Amino acid sequence: MPKSQFINPADIRKPGKLTFGSIPLNQYKKGIADERKNFSDDDFLRIFRDMVIIREFENMINEIKIKNEYHGIPYNHPGPAHLSMGQEASAVGMAYYLTVDDLIFGSHRSHGEILAKGLSAIHQLSEADLVQVMKGYFNGKVMAVVEKGHQGTVMELAVKFLLYGTLAEIFARENGFNKGLGGSMHAFFTPFGVYPNNAIVGGSGDISVGAALYKKVNNKPGIVVCNIGDASMACGPVWEGISFATMDQYTQLWEEAYRGGLPILFNCMNNQYGMGGQTSGETMGYGIVARLGAGVNADMMHAERVDGYNPLAVIEAFKRKKKILLDRKGPVLLDTLTYRISGHSPSDASSYRSKEEVEAWQKADSIVQYGNDLVKAGVTKQPVLDDNRQKIIEELTDILKLTIDDTISPRLNLITNPDAIGELMFSNGSVDALDTRKPEALLSQDENPRVKALKNKERFYVDKEGKTVSKARQYQLRDGIFEAILDRFYKDPTLVAYGEENRDWGGAFAVYRGLTEALPYHRLFNSPIAEGAIVGTAIGYGMAGGRVIAEIMYCDFIGRCGDELFNQLPKWQAMSGNLIKMPVVIRVSVGSKYGAQHSQDWSSLIAHVPGIKVVFPTTPYDAKGLMNSALQGTDPVVYFESQRIYDVGEQFHEGGVPEGYYEIPIGEPDIKRKGSDITILTIGSTLYVALKAADTLQSKYGLSAEIIDARSLVPFNYDLVLESVKKTGRIVLASDACARGSYLRDLASNITELAFDDLDAPPVVVGSRNWITPAYEMEEYFFPQPEWILDAIHERIVPLNGHKTTTDWSVEGQMRRSREGV
Amino acid sequence: MATPVIMPRQGQSVETCIITQWTKKKGEAVRTGDILFSYETDKASFDVEAQEEGILLDIFYNDGDEVPVLTNVAVIGKAGEDAESFRVGRGSSSEESGSGSGSSSMGIPIGLLTATVTAAATSSTAAATSSPATATATAASHLRISPRARCMAIKLGVNPENITGSGPNGRIIVRDIEAAGQPYGVAPTYTDIEYTDKKLSNVRKIIARAMHESISTSAQLTHHMSADVRKLLVLRNQVKAEMEKGGPNITLNDMICFAVIRALEKSPEINSHFLGESIRTFKKIHLGLAVDTPRGLMVPSVQNVGELSLKGLSGRLREAAEQCRKGNINPELLASTAATFTVSNLGNYGVEMFTPIINLPQVAILGVNTIIHRPADLGNGVFGFIPVIGLSLTYDHRAVDGGPATLFLKEIKEKIENFNEKI
Repeated sequence: MPKSQFINPADIRKPGKLTFGSIPLNQYKKGIADERKNFSDDDFLRIFRDMVIIREFENMINEIKIKNEYHGIPYNHPGPAHLSMGQEASAVGMAYYLTVDDLIFGSHRSHGEILAKGLSAIHQLSEADLVQVMKGYFNGKVMAVVEKGHQGTVMELAVKFLLYGTLAEIFARENGFNKGLGGSMHAFFTPFGVYPNNAIVGGSGDISVGAALYKKVNNKPGIVVCNIGDASMACGPVWEGISFATMDQYTQLWEEAYRGGLPILFNCMNNQYGMGGQTSGETMGYGIVARLGAGVNADMMHAERVDGYNPLAVIEAFKRKKKILLDRKGPVLLDTLTYRISGHSPSDASSYRSKEEVEAWQKADSIVQYGNDLVKAGVTKQPVLDDNRQKIIEELTDILKLTIDDTISPRLNLITNPDAIGELMFSNGSVDALDTRKPEALLSQDENPRVKALKNKERFYVDKEGKTVSKARQYQLRDGIFEAILDRFYKDPTLVAYGEENRDWGGAFAVYRGLTEALPYHRLFNSPIAEGAIVGTAIGYGMAGGRVIAEIMYCDFIGRCGDELFNQLPKWQAMSGNLIKMPVVIRVSVGSKYGAQHSQDWSSLIAHVPGIKVVFPTTPYDAKGLMNSALQGTDPVVYFESQRIYDVGEQFHEGGVPEGYYEIPIGEPDIKRKGSDITILTIGSTLYVALKAADTLQSKYGLSAEIIDARSLVPFNYDLVLESVKKTGRIVLASDACARGSYLRDLASNITELAFDDLDAPPVVVGSRNWITPAYEMEEYFFPQPEWILDAIHERIVPLNGHKTTTDWSVEGQMRRSREGV
Repeated sequence: MATPVIMPRQGQSVETCIITQWTKKKGEAVRTGDILFSYETDKASFDVEAQEEGILLDIFYNDGDEVPVLTNVAVIGKAGEDAESFRVGRGSSSEESGSGSGSSSMGIPIGLLTATVTAAATSSTAAATSSPATATATAASHLRISPRARCMAIKLGVNPENITGSGPNGRIIVRDIEAAGQPYGVAPTYTDIEYTDKKLSNVRKIIARAMHESISTSAQLTHHMSADVRKLLVLRNQVKAEMEKGGPNITLNDMICFAVIRALEKSPEINSHFLGESIRTFKKIHLGLAVDTPRGLMVPSVQNVGELSLKGLSGRLREAAEQCRKGNINPELLASTAATFTVSNLGNYGVEMFTPIINLPQVAILGVNTIIHRPADLGNGVFGFIPVIGLSLTYDHRAVDGGPATLFLKEIKEKIENFNEKI
């Protein structure tokens, strides 16, 4: 809550009435004759052509799905095909005025949008630009296929390129726009402004907002269109994205140069069904999607319904809405009314709608209707249109032949290169800055009050006399994170950070204290309490080309952004064929003391999903070095922090935490204490528990423990651990994560496999109980304690002379607990 | 054409044998029936005779080598014939096995030899050596030992089978191997002229393992009692007199065994095996008899002794002892499971009292001591010395309680004191 805004009870407690304006519905009333001044005959015909290309493209896939052939060419496509027959006018109308700077995001039903936007871009780009795009894509490999024997213009070649690249992608061929790793529901082509379509309903709802944020923060030209379906209007990510997009601060708090709404257009491709659920009348209550705008902000999102069966109506609407966005008055909600003649997928028997209904919409078919209008208005003659259509069919037939030919269009070869997909999971870049502008800041680094304060702190936990430094004089773990982030803010102009309470408050755990003074609003701001949008927008921001740090205040809240963390963030680098980079750092703070929903270490959940780098530093030196690496890289990193140890000083790195820049490579564990008799590998703040256990092992039992801090979960280099086990023959693994399904189990299993002959006992995992986290006063019975580690060693590894256990490590106990699921 | 000489198999349970001595040398001429070499199993020793005439072309294993049964150990043929093709594993296997005189495999059962050796043997001589591979698995699997300890045992030449594990649930862990590898804590600095190393014979190994397992896994204790043997001595004197006329030599031990058998008939719970989860009580009595042989202690079982007369019993016991000393006893009779109760007699050596170790899974063993004279009330206020024999009954308290054990011992005493058998 900024102090500049005063909530006056006298004002807001006044009685009154909230009134809404009107929302236009299908107000477009012009005909071809009226539009002749805006469109040439060629334009009219091109609109027709684009619609037919989409229809025939979808028809081809439909034929292949249901008959296993198209015009006599046999093919089997086992994968998905969510077709958009009937929605062509909406797609072409949307794309008509959009430039390559305008980005579209889509849904699982976006073939039409890809083609429409691609065809529009091809029409707008110069021949030289087109050649550059085609040659630049996978070194011209895709282009080479369609170029062979091509006789015609560059533009015609580009259309073939678009059709081939899209179809090859749908059929999982390496020449596809995303190397065949995206497929039907994820295909996209960024050089034409086509950004990822999303197989998760509403998945684009918050990602696209992040792309719009990127445009706004970095003064990039163009707008962002989020094409989602009517049923997705029920989804959390869509609502959270809308909430994020309509925050008052853009117009009320952001600095003058950045003031104004986000350039995002939520375009609801309203085909009136969510799979089989009828949104208007059955599964939703809005009746008309456009109504939703009224409840969101004072501008009512400039909401409007447009007849998506009339391409000219859609074009006109997009022209007006785009202007609103460029005037910084966004966001906009458009309810583009359309109808899907085809089923949800080829297996759809249309049991949820009547034959009469489908026939009525077929009668109103936009292609037939628009063609008739053109003939009627004298723009063209029917045989020309028919001839046009025939040519398109022939062209698609040729494209299909090229696409299904395994020698011309092979799939990624996982026999000759079994790691081919693995090589695309991470981009592993190292980039100082993602733009060349001078980073904007309100203060120089030296003037920063926290930087000044840190100059007086001790950067090692003991002073020169060997006396332990007091907390107040200690350079702490949170300072290490701060220094790395501050440094990057002055290096990379695209870097932004946001989350709950990030500005003014300085972050709930004082990591960002000192940033509010240093950074303008557009680089550091408070988000709505919407974890889905916090992560989702960060994904869109990174995808569009920026670097971002999003914060999740408590690890427990990652359930709120599950789709974003599990389905979106980790996937897009590989699903794009590694064309998209994802320089996104998600800071996740692991809590304690706050009970069952605020104290869980869920690092294992994140580590399980391929495609994210996961780190969990536990010392100021590591925190700074790993944050530097995360911010230097181009991969998504989930950066865990523990609230138990934000205030620890550096106890391990000789000389304390360096003031200058340094990186700690992600994936390298670190020995925190040398030892010879037993290895203890920890993740997170359990390091400090292990140190206590090691003290007792030494003093009471004469065992010297080597303590290794994992520091990273993914990737993880086993060298150090195996070397240690080779020496000690024994290993205990400990962390605050619940023992069942803990990432430690994965480490333990791998260590067993890799070092079996070196082991004098099985690797033993010490994790939290498989319970809810109880109140702080009972935490010692839930989280691993030093005695638990001793018990585990005594009972499972090497009996400790005279040791009395406090926890049950009996085989019977373990089996019983497993039987009971606790 | 050259013919291989194979290591014969003696008994179903025998997987390997040790060559004790070659009596023929490589290159020497042999005739059919000549003894080529002698070998021993874990229970007995045997000779192998030449089945052909010719030259002993090659010998693949040396004295002291442990050889899987049915493996080629030598080749007999005409001078100049190829012998090498008969070598098992074409070198790798035999070289490994042949390194027995070195220290690396010293004292380690075959189950602990490196996997490559077993694999090579298995793959090169399909049928013949497939059984050792199986033996490897079974031999190793019952041992609770950590992988690291196992590797260290091989390196240090420690036989983990003789070690009690100190790890969780008795697992043998590294520190146990270390302790066994350096029993005095410091490496001894003796030079090799101050000691001799001798590989354990199979018999020694088996005794070591069985005795250690018995004492470490059961609850043994011993009761001592003595019996008046005046009647037995009278009978023994009669036997001696009969012997001069060619009668059989029925020993005191035979008579005591006879008394034991009678007592067992009254206490069937002693005539049992303790099987952990159950106790198996036998309807017939199979008496184990501890026999001292040059190769070590052997305990042959004499089957179905319940029906035997004193004379019959005496003959059977003598026969078993002789077979043991000669080494031609049926190996299967040497298994501890073959007997239901054992008698061990040290009386001849003057032992007055000892605590015999049970042959598990049997539940008891009787130690028989020497005869001493002891003062006794002879009746009517007259005291004199009478000869008594010491009886030491060790029993497994897991299976038998003190009361029944004592009653059983007392029953033996009474059978001895009231011995009524005639010659």
